[in-house]
Amino acid sequence: MDTRTLRALAPLLTAAVVAVLPLLVTDPFLLRVFTFAGINALVVTGLALLFSYAGQVSLGHAAFVGLGAYACAFCTVRLEWPWLLAFAASGALAALGGLVLALPSLRLKGHYLAMATLGFGLLMSLAFVEAEPVTGGVDGFGGIPFPAVGPLQIRTAASLYWLVWAMVGIALVAAFNVTSMRPGRAMRALHGSELGAQACGVDIVGVKVRTFVMSALLAGLAGALYASVVGFVSPSVFTLTASITFLAMTVVGGTSSLAGPLAAAVLLTLVQYLDALIPGIPSETAQTLQSYQEDIYGLAIVLVVAFAPGGLAGVWRRRRMGGDAS
Amino acid sequence: MTLLQVRNVTKRFGGLTAVDDVSFDVFEGTIKALIGPNGAGKSTLFNALTAFDRPDEGSVLFEGAEMVGRRPRDTVHAGVARTFQNTQLFDEMTAGENVMVGNQAHQRRGFSAAMLRLPAAVSEDREAREEAGRLLRLIGIEEWVDVPAADLPAGTRRLVEIARALATGPRLLLLDEPAAGLNATETRELVQTLFRVRDAGITVVIVEHDMGLVMAVSDEIVVLDRGRKIAEGPPRMIQKDPAVIAAYLGEGADEDA
Repeated sequence: MDTRTLRALAPLLTAAVVAVLPLLVTDPFLLRVFTFAGINALVVTGLALLFSYAGQVSLGHAAFVGLGAYACAFCTVRLEWPWLLAFAASGALAALGGLVLALPSLRLKGHYLAMATLGFGLLMSLAFVEAEPVTGGVDGFGGIPFPAVGPLQIRTAASLYWLVWAMVGIALVAAFNVTSMRPGRAMRALHGSELGAQACGVDIVGVKVRTFVMSALLAGLAGALYASVVGFVSPSVFTLTASITFLAMTVVGGTSSLAGPLAAAVLLTLVQYLDALIPGIPSETAQTLQSYQEDIYGLAIVLVVAFAPGGLAGVWRRRRMGGDAS
Repeated sequence: MTLLQVRNVTKRFGGLTAVDDVSFDVFEGTIKALIGPNGAGKSTLFNALTAFDRPDEGSVLFEGAEMVGRRPRDTVHAGVARTFQNTQLFDEMTAGENVMVGNQAHQRRGFSAAMLRLPAAVSEDREAREEAGRLLRLIGIEEWVDVPAADLPAGTRRLVEIARALATGPRLLLLDEPAAGLNATETRELVQTLFRVRDAGITVVIVEHDMGLVMAVSDEIVVLDRGRKIAEGPPRMIQKDPAVIAAYLGEGADEDA
């Protein structure tokens, strides 16, 4: 099989493996872990558009996940909206939040966007605690119903897994379409050289804002899925640490790639649940690893930036080129 | 017909007047060169012409429309394209993709059409690809189409940047030192390219240090010295102009000039 066929088949094979996984893994806890991996993959797919393609950094993506999660909770529990409507509203609210943040900060150059997203993230994590009437404050927001499409309730571990990964699939196809066509070229162009992109007539601010909004939308949808899968939302989930975790997954995943960040999102999510995945592992080892989790992510970012700036995707591309030459 | 009218353009940086009350015309279908010793204000003027910088005074009329105060992308849409002294290619993209970005100005389909892979967006994409191939053939570098820009030789990078500028569909092409870093063979190829571009009906303005190139391609030359225009005319006249000779000799044995 040559590389081209392999490249065409790889997404299909991956999709097949992801789809049949619940038939092979019956442990509901493990399925829950893989469901979380899918939710993270959804956030990271959006972040990959922003970082891996357009070269813009967000240090506050957990805030958009939080916006989506609380919006879903509020719409389903307080407003008693049908789940699908609440789900869409959650994405829309996060996208609107992204627009409001992006419009002023993306006109500025350099690290202002990173600073603005950092500030926004911190502000929102405070707001989730303080806006008690809406969010439930530090106690969190419980009793969120399972997803339901019309009369069809989605509540088993396997069906939740399928729902989440179906959304990941749709997001990946949409993201792939965007990146492989005109907007994707504009995104990579402004990453490569803003002067060059301007000289080509690229609407730099417009492309950045649209990319940011799309990535906030995916984060919001991921948040809504999280709220519906867990049934409970607490402000301790949507912190700076979570934002950095998402960014670490994206950076490790690599540039100009969707597959790299996807793989990194799944792998780095699984690291958090090593004890469940590797039955023989001593619980102390697993606990030590978990308590150093943030340090591991930080180290991963440093190592990738220092030794493999292209991330997983870059390593894969280089390996393939080396193979072609020999 | 006058395509570009530069009128009394002045640009100051603090106490320094980098461009001082410069006026000239560029006629359609010609190649015009801007020359002058280092620090004469060529690049500053060049940025003012393409809206990458805003002059303090004066006006730049392209086909009668004011370009001062507009954004770079407005000038691109109006039909003015440029290259840079330090090539501004998108290094992670292939030569072909670089040129396709130049074609963006003509494409209408945005994020939502691409997301849904609408037929209109797909056909637009195919046209951009074909146009990029056509331009790379015109410039004579079609064999590099799938090579990442970062891996291209310096001379080819300059040519890709010219192809990318042409993809915006300009009526006026401004080239900032296109021969810098090229060897003799590459410079000869560049001359051929410039003639081909002009013959395709595109007016050219170049800033250039390579006098051989300037004398070979230009219909008219504007000479700047310390921000002021000291001479303007066809190459033969410029070569004999006492003010020009003084300006260049006055700078000493500067290899660049």
